[in-house]
Amino acid sequence: MTFPPEIFQITLLSLQISALATGISLLIGLPLGTLLALGKFWGRSFFLSIVNTGMGLPPVVVGLFVAMMLWRSGPFGDMNLIYTPTAIIIAQTVISAPVVIGLTSAALQSLDPRLRLQLYGLGASRWQMIWALWREARLPLLAALMAGFGSVISEVGASMMVGGNIRYQTRVLTTAIVLETGKGNFEIALALGVLLLLITFLVNWALTWIQQRGEE
Amino acid sequence: MNDKNLITIKNLLVKRGNKVVLRVNELFIKRGEILSVVGPNGAGKSTLLLTLARLLKPNAGQILFNGNPAQKESDTAYRRKIALVMQDPLLFDLSVYKNVALGLEFRGASKSEIQEKVPLWLERLGVANLTERRAKKLSGGEAQRISLARALILEPELLLLDESFSALDPPTRANLLDDLKPLLKNNATTTLFVTHDLHEARKLATRMAIIMKNSLRQVGNANEIFEAPIDEDMAHFLGKI
Amino acid sequence: MKKTALLPLLILALLTACAQSASTPLILATTTSTQDSGLLDLLVPIFEEQSEYTVQTIAVGTGAALKMAEEGNADVLLVHAPSAEKVLMDAGFGRDRFLIMHNDFIFIGPSDDPAAIRSLPSAGEALVNISSAQAGFVSRGDDSGTHKKELSIWANAGLTPTWDGYIESGQGMGTTLIIASEKQAYIMTDRATYLANQDNLELEILLEGDEILLNIYHVITVNPDSWDNINYEGALAFANFMISNETQALIKDFGVDKYGQPLFFPDAHKTDAELGVE
Repeated sequence: MTFPPEIFQITLLSLQISALATGISLLIGLPLGTLLALGKFWGRSFFLSIVNTGMGLPPVVVGLFVAMMLWRSGPFGDMNLIYTPTAIIIAQTVISAPVVIGLTSAALQSLDPRLRLQLYGLGASRWQMIWALWREARLPLLAALMAGFGSVISEVGASMMVGGNIRYQTRVLTTAIVLETGKGNFEIALALGVLLLLITFLVNWALTWIQQRGEE
Repeated sequence: MNDKNLITIKNLLVKRGNKVVLRVNELFIKRGEILSVVGPNGAGKSTLLLTLARLLKPNAGQILFNGNPAQKESDTAYRRKIALVMQDPLLFDLSVYKNVALGLEFRGASKSEIQEKVPLWLERLGVANLTERRAKKLSGGEAQRISLARALILEPELLLLDESFSALDPPTRANLLDDLKPLLKNNATTTLFVTHDLHEARKLATRMAIIMKNSLRQVGNANEIFEAPIDEDMAHFLGKI
Repeated sequence: MKKTALLPLLILALLTACAQSASTPLILATTTSTQDSGLLDLLVPIFEEQSEYTVQTIAVGTGAALKMAEEGNADVLLVHAPSAEKVLMDAGFGRDRFLIMHNDFIFIGPSDDPAAIRSLPSAGEALVNISSAQAGFVSRGDDSGTHKKELSIWANAGLTPTWDGYIESGQGMGTTLIIASEKQAYIMTDRATYLANQDNLELEILLEGDEILLNIYHVITVNPDSWDNINYEGALAFANFMISNETQALIKDFGVDKYGQPLFFPDAHKTDAELGVE
């Protein structure tokens, strides 16, 4: 635990898992958020309420639910996914997808609704219209991505429950912090905490830089 | 089929719920003319424009474009023959250049075509100096000129102007109208110009159409209409000049 | 008149009530496995009733519990890691140490027992078999008393567990048992946690009874000379309560009604040597 290679491995794993979960959330969240923002269908406000509730899902509850699905006694037990990085990615995606969906939807709803008419009036196809709206809302959309990433990189309950905190396999920064705190290694726990903050900061800094690049 | 008419509208009916918001028994838009559509607020002028932009579906009636029923084409294919300028410029948070290039990009124009046309049309609207400016940092008059360049660059068969100058202060508006009129005339751009401002309508118009109380009442050249209003309502409206 | 007189009276009554319930706090640091067994839920309220103290039980890993003693963040410990406890005592962070009770560790695993450890005479031989079969084995890996015990048995057997099937969960006993069951792996556990979780596990007892597998609990009072605000009197009162005949009798019967067998064996006034440890 005290030597750098393991910390490096844990850090890399945390980043990989949370980046992948955020990426999948984006793939799910961008289309669904767009549908909720622009679509006109029955039950739209009902689905929006579900998504807004989902934005505050307690990670431990997600962890419990995903674990029950993946345990050998659960419906997907045969896939042998429990206590693997894949299990953590699934749980983290469940946590971050509503965040990305909800904020995507809010970002697009905050645009002037006449922009859609204007785009059609310039000959945009449906997809060109959506693409142009995404580009117009790029700042809040990047903020949605950052919020999604933030919600999972710092999450511990679900990772612990479905990942198992197994050394070299599913131990990530947050679960390692819990472990080292339990061991009484407060200095190491604190160092890992600082590392976690640093990573979160660097990722957000990079995204903010992309976000603000066009603002010069 | 009259070859001079770009648009032929017959028995058009648009409802919102059960309420009739526009009724047009017959209306032609001749190729190359500027048809100003005037009427009080809420009379149904914008409904006509949105219907022609295929942003509203009529409940009944026929619209012929170049003599062919417009419904046969997809919305996108149809809309690529027109261009729309609304009351507010509705520019995107991009450079002026990219805003003006937008419609060409939607039509899959080549980069060289875009590079050739954008400066040309910015020049024609007198805003070449703004090319690299961010659209959010323009004055109202500048922004509306960019919005017009963005539409005109498409060299549309039909240009739709929806109260496009009414948000501007009078001197700016007058300047823009003075610059726009020769541009439309020289390019023989068929234009439907919707406005509540009779003065502005007359200034630009080849012919005028008056819409009142949700139906088309009178069409003709400006002098005809002003000299011979068909009824008292019309006379009253025109008397407001 | 009446109203104005009533209000101060009410406040006074409330304050008195608060003062009564806010008796001197006593911080007990213990391990999660002890907490999970439910024994403290039985004993602590009795102690609180008999004494003037309010016990704040903090359940953490053994490492953290010992650290809390070192740093003066606890008044008294109930722990089960004898060698680490001795280091603490030698360093002068503990004042008194009392043997309280023991339970035992067992080896459990899948019923098909791929490494054939069933009923072997010693834990060491079981580990040799597991290691040579490179069978799945889940370790706590959290520096807990149980983890330290497991490591000492590996060391005793002259082995270093390094194959891929040997994994560290870094979590509490209950969770680690579930991981072992899901992975159908061997695991060393304390009997109490196993019995409490038995229904959720597809694992059975394969080896038990070796002396080396005893899990011995001590109460340690934190040395009041090290830190100013240690509640030493309370700590000593708690220690004396734990070794009293009444409490020892309660420990002896604890869990029998639920599991059909006791979870702990009272050992007050015995010596470590009598239990076969150094």
